[in-house]
Amino acid sequence: MDTIWCLLLLILREKVLNRLRQRDVYEAIADPTRRELIHLLAEEEESPLHYLTGHFSTGRTAVSKHLAVLKEAELVMDRKVGRERRYRLNPVPLKQVQDWLSHYENFWKQKAAALNRLVEEEN
Amino acid sequence: MPKGISLDFQFTSPIDRVWTAMTDPITLSKWMYPNDFKAVVGHKFQFRAEPSQWWDGIVNCEVLEIEEPNKLKYSWISGGEMTVVTWTMEQADDGTTRAHLEQWGFEGEQSFQGASWGWPRMVDQLQAALAQL
Repeated sequence: MDTIWCLLLLILREKVLNRLRQRDVYEAIADPTRRELIHLLAEEEESPLHYLTGHFSTGRTAVSKHLAVLKEAELVMDRKVGRERRYRLNPVPLKQVQDWLSHYENFWKQKAAALNRLVEEEN
Repeated sequence: MPKGISLDFQFTSPIDRVWTAMTDPITLSKWMYPNDFKAVVGHKFQFRAEPSQWWDGIVNCEVLEIEEPNKLKYSWISGGEMTVVTWTMEQADDGTTRAHLEQWGFEGEQSFQGASWGWPRMVDQLQAALAQL
């Protein structure tokens, strides 16, 4: 009986943690609309919402939702200027993606060089 | 999780030797890590590297595709990340072997199929964005 309670508590804890966990940058950039938004934001210092929505056929609400996801991943910062909201890109979390890429690129380059040496020796 | 890398290599040996190095567990262990690989689709195996402070050294894999001697695909699960590694090889006229390596996240595999522009473009953007830091 104790074991079952322990398991249930563990599952519950995991669920709560998942909720609390910040959206990660990979999830944020998995969606093509959000990648397009990043692209648009990268071109301007700061973009008002109507400028961003003008590039999509999906409508203002959908674009706002995507911006909210980017904001949760800390890829986007916003501020209110008068009656409009302006968005700007924060590229810092993208560093995480680049770190992952360069880690594995170096790893495979080393391994491939070792493979090449090995098969040459056997010749 | 649209993580992905794509690399090209040229090995100075014929394709069958490269294939052996990639699929014979003993030869494979000499350039990768000790492993229990078998060239059988569905076979689950591990690479076991020396554990360190920040990595347990274990890579859990499953053979997903085998096409001797041109294609080898296995899943690569390590440190809580799930990716797929694909090697494609081609014999060149001069007796060398051209190899192409891709490593992608699982979700990336699905959502990026048929849309290969997505990742390279993202990488360009990354580099541009990082240059501004």
